[in-house]
Amino acid sequence: MADSLSICFSFEPTSPNIKSNLDLDRHIRSHVAAVSHIPSSAFLKNIDTPQDFLEILNPSVNSIPYAYTLLHRIQTHDWPKGPKSVPDTFRPGGGSWGKLVEFLESFDPVQMRYIGDVWRRLVEYCDRVARAMGTPGIAISPVRSAMLQLDPSTGTFTSNHLLFMRTCLEAGSYTAALPILDNYIYNLPQNIAKALIEIEGSVPCAETSTSSDFITTRSGHSEKITLADLHEYYMLGAIAYIGARKFKQALLFLEHILITPSANIANGIMWEAYKKWVILGCLVNGAPSATPKTANSSAMKQLRAASKAYDALTEAFQMHGPKLRAQAEVGVQTWAEDGNTGLVSELVDHQMRLAVIKLKDTYSAIPLTHVAKFLGFSMQEAEAYIRNLVARGYLNASLDHTPGPNGSLVLRFYTDPTEGPLAKSEKEQYLELLQQTAQTNKLAEQVKAADYRLSLNKDYLEHVRRLNKKAAASAAAGDAMDVTWDDAEPEEDIMGDLIM
Amino acid sequence: MATTIEQAPYFLERKEKNLLVVKDPPKFDLESYIANYEGRTRLKRLEHIGMYSSYLAVDALRMAIAEAKHGADENIYISLTELLHSISPKDTMATPDVEWAEKTFKANKLRQEQLESELKAYKNNLIKESIRMGNEDLGHFYYNIGDLGNAFKSYFRMREHCTSAKHLTDMTMRLTFVAIAQRNWLGAQSHATKVDAQVAKNEERGKLEPVINACMGLSHMCCNSFRDAARDFLNVSPTFITADAVAGIKFQKEVLTGNDIAVYGGLCALASMDRTELQERVLSDTDFRQFLELEPHIRRAISAFCSSKYSTCLQILEEYRADYLLDIYLGPAVTDIYHRIRTKSIVQYFKPFSCVSLDEMSKKFQITGEGYAIEDELTSMITAGILDARIDLVERLLISPATNARHVVHSDALKMAQSYDHTLRLRLTRLNMQNAGMEVRSPKADMEKNIDRGEGFGGTLRRLGQGLGGFS
Repeated sequence: MADSLSICFSFEPTSPNIKSNLDLDRHIRSHVAAVSHIPSSAFLKNIDTPQDFLEILNPSVNSIPYAYTLLHRIQTHDWPKGPKSVPDTFRPGGGSWGKLVEFLESFDPVQMRYIGDVWRRLVEYCDRVARAMGTPGIAISPVRSAMLQLDPSTGTFTSNHLLFMRTCLEAGSYTAALPILDNYIYNLPQNIAKALIEIEGSVPCAETSTSSDFITTRSGHSEKITLADLHEYYMLGAIAYIGARKFKQALLFLEHILITPSANIANGIMWEAYKKWVILGCLVNGAPSATPKTANSSAMKQLRAASKAYDALTEAFQMHGPKLRAQAEVGVQTWAEDGNTGLVSELVDHQMRLAVIKLKDTYSAIPLTHVAKFLGFSMQEAEAYIRNLVARGYLNASLDHTPGPNGSLVLRFYTDPTEGPLAKSEKEQYLELLQQTAQTNKLAEQVKAADYRLSLNKDYLEHVRRLNKKAAASAAAGDAMDVTWDDAEPEEDIMGDLIM
Repeated sequence: MATTIEQAPYFLERKEKNLLVVKDPPKFDLESYIANYEGRTRLKRLEHIGMYSSYLAVDALRMAIAEAKHGADENIYISLTELLHSISPKDTMATPDVEWAEKTFKANKLRQEQLESELKAYKNNLIKESIRMGNEDLGHFYYNIGDLGNAFKSYFRMREHCTSAKHLTDMTMRLTFVAIAQRNWLGAQSHATKVDAQVAKNEERGKLEPVINACMGLSHMCCNSFRDAARDFLNVSPTFITADAVAGIKFQKEVLTGNDIAVYGGLCALASMDRTELQERVLSDTDFRQFLELEPHIRRAISAFCSSKYSTCLQILEEYRADYLLDIYLGPAVTDIYHRIRTKSIVQYFKPFSCVSLDEMSKKFQITGEGYAIEDELTSMITAGILDARIDLVERLLISPATNARHVVHSDALKMAQSYDHTLRLRLTRLNMQNAGMEVRSPKADMEKNIDRGEGFGGTLRRLGQGLGGFS
C-alpha cells in the first residue's frame, strides 16, 4: 500500500528537477510505466475510507494514478448495459460517480496526453452510465469539460466527439453541444511515424497550439475514425445547430459533408445533408446557396437528381406566392420520411417573414393597417406578428404611435444601419473585425500545421524524391545535349519504388 | 362623326380585347403627312392609321383604297375595303370593286408567268447578267404585288449572279428594304451589317452610310434596344434627306423620312441616355441638329430634360403621344419609350433631394391625372431597383435612404473575411479527409476492399506494393 502510494506521489509536474520538456517527457513516461504496473488490488483497497486512493490523490496533480484508480474500479464491474448493471457507487449521486466527474472536470491535461486509452475509457464509461440510467443529459457537462480540458481547441476529431454529439441529441440539449461544435475540426488523428517524432524531437507534453501533435492514431485518445463517423458527426452537429435555430452555422456545417472526396458518387448521408442544405440555403440567404467549389460535381449532380422535390420547394419559395404552401402540403409524406417536416414548415413561415422584411427596401414608414392588409391579418395579429419579428431580430424597425388623439400604429424602418434595435456601432464592428482577424490567424496556424504534417506524408516524400530525380536527370541531360541513350541508366527500376 | 366611328363594331371589339385605340386627334394633317412618303409604305402607313385611330380611320382608309386601286396589289385592296366596311359599312368605298380585283389578279398571273419564262430562257443561255436582271425583275414584280416572301427569295437568288461589287451592294440593300417591309428586324439588321462590311471607304460609302445607319437604327428600335437605336440614328448624316436613290429605292421616302429620324432618334436618346450624354451627343451634335430642326418639339423636349424641367418635357411628349402611336414603326414602342423617359425623369428629379413629399411628386409627374397613384408607381420603381429611395406612407414623403459608407465597408469586409474563412475550412477538411484516405466510393468497391476503414486508397496501394515486392 505504502509502496504503491509512494509510486503514485513520485511524480510532481511542478518539481524543480524538471528543467525541460524532454525531462518532463521522460519523467511522465517512467511514471506511467510504474503506475501501470501497480497491481489492481492496491487500487481497490480501502474503498470509501479516508485511506482510499481517490481521497488521498489530487486529481489535478496526480492525474495519472487517479485515472488508473478509477479505471481499475470500473473494470471490476461489467460494462453497463442497462440501469441494473450500473453499480451503485457509479450511479449518479454515488461516491465513485462524483469522483469520476470531479476528475473529468479537473485533470491535468498534459499528463492525460500520455494515457489516452485510460482517459478515453473513463470518458466512455461516464457517457455509458448516463445512458444506461436513461438520463443522458448528466453526461454532457463532464464529457464536454473533459474534451475541452484535454484539447481546448477540440479541433482534432476523436470518437468522443461523436459520442458527445449522440448524447447531446439524445438528451435534446442542442445548445449544450455548441461549445464543441463551434470549434472547427482542423485535423483528423494521424499516424505519425515514430522515427519522425524522434527526428523532430517533439514530445507530447510540449506546449503546442494544435492538438494534432498529441492526439494521433496511436495516442489512444480516440478509436479508429472512419468516414462514416465523421459524416455522422457533421450531420448530428447540423441537426443540433438547427435545433438551436442557428441556421447559418448548420448550413456551413453541412457543406463539410458535401465536399467529401468521392469517386464521382454520393452516399446516403450526403443525400440527407444535401436535402437539408437546400432548405437551409433558402432560410439563410433567401435562395439556394451555390455549391461549394470543392464538391465533386458528378456526386452533386446525382444528389440534385435525387432531390427533385426539394428543388421544387425552393423554386416555389423564391416565387413568393401561395405555391410554396401547396408544395409543402403535397410533399408532407416526403418531408416526414426525410425528417425535414420542421424545416419545411420553417421555410413556409420564413416566406412571409421575408415578405415583411423586404418592405424595408421600399418603405421607411408604413401604417400598420397597410401591413395587416398585406399579410391578410387583423390589426391585433399583425401587431403581435411584427412585434415578434422585431424582438427576434428579423427587423431593424420599431412600432410607434403617431402623435395625435387618434394616433394609429406605424411600422418605422431604420434606414441607417447605425440606428434602431439592430444597430451596430463602429466600435462593435471594429471588435468583430478584430475577432475575425484573430480567428483567421488561428486558422492560418492550423493550416500551417496541416501543411507540415502533409509534407511528411510518405506519398508526398515519394513524389518529391521522384521530382528531384527527374530534375537531376534533366539537368544532366541538358548539359551536353546527349542524344545517345544506351549509356544512360540501364533501365528504370519500376519495382524498386514499390519495395519499401 | 368621330363618335359614331368610335362606336363602330371594329373599334368596340378592339376596346373589348383591351387593344390600342387612339381616340385623340393627332397634331399632323393627314394629307401633308402622307405626302412625305412614296410607294408601299404609304399604303401601309395609311392602313396603320386606319386600324388604330378612330378619328382618322375613314379618311385614311379612303385614301388608302384609292391609292391601292392604282397599284397592282389586289390583296391589300380587298383587306382595306374590308377594314373600312367594318368601320363604316355605308361608305361607298367600302364595297370592293371585284371586277378590278379579278382583272388585276389575272394580269398579275400573266405577268408572273411571263417573267418566269423569261428567267428560264436566261438561265438556258447561261448569261449571268441576264439571269441577275431576270431575278431582279421578278423581285420587283413580287414586291409590287405585295408578295414579300417571294420578293425576298428572288432578290436573294441574284447573289450568285452578281458580277460587280455594286451589284452585290444593290442586292443587299434590296434585301434590307424587303426585310424592313416584312418587319423582319433581325434580317434587316444582318443585311444592313453586310452592306456595311461590303462597302469600301470611298464615295459610295458616303452615299450608303446614312441609309445603313437609318435602317440599323430602325431595326434596333423595333427590337426595343433603344440605346443602340439612338446611337445609330445619331450617326445618320444629314445628307440622308437629300441623298439619291440607293439601288433604285428612295429610302427617305419609301422607308423613313428625315422627320422620322429626328423623332425616333430623339426619343430613343431620351429613353436611353443621361443628361450629359444628351447634351453632348444630341443637342450639341451639328449633324443631328439639322434633323432636330425638322421636329422642333423633340428638341424642346430634350432641352427641357437637360435643364431638369422634367414636367415640361413629359408634357411636350404627352401632347404628341397620339401622333407617335399612329406611326407605323414607332407605335408599338411608344409606350415603352415613354415609360422609360418617365422613370428616368423621376429618378433624375429625385436625385438632388433627400426628401420630397408625394403630393409634390404627383403634381410634377401626374399632369394628366390619369394612371395609377404616384406611390404605386414609385413602389414598383423601387422594387425594380430603378429608384433608390424609401416611401414614408405616414407623412407621405419620398425619402432618400441614409448611407453610411464606413458601416457598409466594415460589414462587407467582415462578410468577405467570413466567407474566405469558411472556404478555407472546407478545403482543409477535404484535405484532411483525403490525407486520411477517406473517400466515398461505389458500394461494390467498398464491400470488396472495405476501404472506408481509414487506411483507404493509400493503404491498399501500399499493400499491393508489398505483395509485388515480395513477389519479385
